[in-house]
Amino acid sequence: MEKMKLKLLYSDLKPELEMIEKELEQAVDSNSHLLNDASLHLLQAGGKRIRPVFVLLAGKFGDYNIDVMKQVAVPLELIHMASLVHDDVIDDSEMRRGQLTVKAQWNNSVAMYTGDFILARALEYITKVDIPNIHEILSKTMIEVCRGEIIQIEDKYKLDQNMRDYLRRIKRKTALLISSSCELGALVSGTDEKTAAHLRRFGYFIGMSFQIIDDILDFTSTDEELGKPAGSDFIQGNITLPVLFARKDKEIYQLLKESLYKELTDEERLYIVQRIRKSPAIKESRAISERYLNKALKELAYLPKSTANKTMRNIAFFIGKRKF
Amino acid sequence: MNLQQIQSKITSMEIDVLKAVQQRTLEKYTAGPSVEQTRLFFLLLPFLDGKQWSGKIEASAKTVSIVYAALHAHDQVKEDAPVTKKQQLTVLAGDFYSGIYYYMLTNLKNIPLIQRLATAIVHVSEKKASFYEDTIQSIADIDETVEVIETELLTAFYDFYGYDEYTPLAKLALNYLRYAEELECLQRDGQTHVLRLLKQSLQNDLHTENWLIDKLDHLHSQIVKCVNGYAFDYELKHFMLHQITPHQHRAEQLTREG
Repeated sequence: MEKMKLKLLYSDLKPELEMIEKELEQAVDSNSHLLNDASLHLLQAGGKRIRPVFVLLAGKFGDYNIDVMKQVAVPLELIHMASLVHDDVIDDSEMRRGQLTVKAQWNNSVAMYTGDFILARALEYITKVDIPNIHEILSKTMIEVCRGEIIQIEDKYKLDQNMRDYLRRIKRKTALLISSSCELGALVSGTDEKTAAHLRRFGYFIGMSFQIIDDILDFTSTDEELGKPAGSDFIQGNITLPVLFARKDKEIYQLLKESLYKELTDEERLYIVQRIRKSPAIKESRAISERYLNKALKELAYLPKSTANKTMRNIAFFIGKRKF
Repeated sequence: MNLQQIQSKITSMEIDVLKAVQQRTLEKYTAGPSVEQTRLFFLLLPFLDGKQWSGKIEASAKTVSIVYAALHAHDQVKEDAPVTKKQQLTVLAGDFYSGIYYYMLTNLKNIPLIQRLATAIVHVSEKKASFYEDTIQSIADIDETVEVIETELLTAFYDFYGYDEYTPLAKLALNYLRYAEELECLQRDGQTHVLRLLKQSLQNDLHTENWLIDKLDHLHSQIVKCVNGYAFDYELKHFMLHQITPHQHRAEQLTREG
C-alpha cells in the first residue's frame, strides 16, 4: 500500500519507468538459465525504484532526453540490486520484500555470481556514457558504499559507539548512492554545476532521512509489514539510531547489552522491540530524520519551481512520513 | 631480460596491485586478495617479449589482476557456514576490489576497457553459475567452462591492446595450471566443481584421474610446441616452461607412484 502511494507521487514518470523496467529486464538477460532466473526473481520482487526516479527527476532540470537518462538510471538500479543480493549473503537473510532471497532460493554461490553478473551488466551499460566525470562519481560512490558496509561490520555489536559513527555509516551505506543518482541525472542532462550541486545535496539529505526512517521502521513495523522479523537489524548486531537513543535509559541499556550476544527467542525479540517502540527513542530519531528532510527541502528551494521540483518535494515529505 | 629481472618485474607488479586494494579491515579478517604470479606473468608477457608497452597499459594490466582478485574473493564464500566476520568481509572484499578497478580505469580514462572487462565478467559469471545447473556437461563443455573462467579476462586485455598473438599460449598454460590443480586435489581426495563435473561425465574416479593426466601431457606438449613458435628469447622461454608450467609426464608420474 505504502509503495503504491509512493508510486502515485511520481505517476508522471510512469511511461519512462515502464521503459526502465523493460530495460532492466533486458539488461539481466543471460545465456545462463540460472542467472536469468535469479536476476528476474530479484527484479520481480519489485522495489521502489527510487534511484531511477531521482535520476529522471534530476534530469528534468536540464536537457531531458529519456534515451540518455536511461543510460544512467538503469545501471544505478542494477548496482543497487547487485548490492542487495550480496547483502543478503552478508546478513544471511532468507526473506526480502516478502519473498525468498536469491541465497535462500538457490545458495550463497549463486547469489555471489548473480551479484557479480548484475554489477558487470551495470558497468557494460553505463560505459555507453562518455562523460568521464560520471564514471569518477560512480566509481568513488561504489568504493565508499563498500567502505560503509565494511565499517558497519566492524561496528556491529558495539553498543557504545557514538552518533557520528552511525551517521558516517548511513551516509556511505545509503545516502551516497541516492545523492549520486541525483547528481548523475543532473550531469547527464547537462545542467549547470550549481544545479547539479543542489541536487546532489538534496539526494544526500533525503538519503540520510530515508535510512533513519528505515531504521525506525525496523522497530515500529510488524513482521508482516517488513516482510522479515521486526528488530532484525538489532538482532544482527546493527546499532541504529533508535538504539543509540534508547540506550540512554539505563534499564534498556542493560537489556540491550545482555541481548546482543545471545540467541533471542521470538518473545525476547518482541519484548526489546516493544521497549524501544515505547521509549522516546523513536520520536528523537524522527526529529533527526526531519532535520535532514528540512535540509533537503531547502536545497530544492534554490532550484526553479517545476513539476519535477514539486514531485521531489512530495517524495521528500512521503519519505519522512512513510509507515514501511 | 634475465630470469631474475623477469621475476623481479612480476613481484613489483604484485606489490603495486596489493597496494592498490589495501584495506585495513579486509586485511585483518579475510585471506587477502589473491594475486597470482602466473597471471601477472601473462599480463606482462607482451612487455617481457619486447612489445610496445606504456605506463597506461601496465596500469590497465594491474586492473585486470584486481578483477581476478574480486571474482576470486567471491569464489571463497562458503555455503551453510555460520555468519562470521570473515565470510561477510569476503563478500565485501570482492565488491570493494570491483570498485577499485572501475575507479582506476576511470582515472586512466580507459572507459572502453571497463566495458570490455565487464563483458568478460558476464561470461565468467555465467560459466561459474553453470556449476549449479542440473545438467550433465560433456567433456567439451567442461573444457570450455574452464577455459572461460581461467582466461576470459586475460584474453579481453590482449584483445583490447592488440596482443592477440599471445592468446593461444595463455589459454594452453592457464588451462594446464587449472587441470594440474584439479589433479592434485583429486589425488588428495578433495572435491571441486570441475572434478564433480568430470566424474559425472567420465563416470568414475579412476577414469577422471587418467583423463586429467592425459590432458596435462597433451596440454604440455602443445605448450612446448606453441612456445617454440614464438621468437621468445632463451630466458623468457626458460622461465615460461620451468617456472610457469613445470611438468611431470605420465611415465614419471607412474614411476613416482611405483
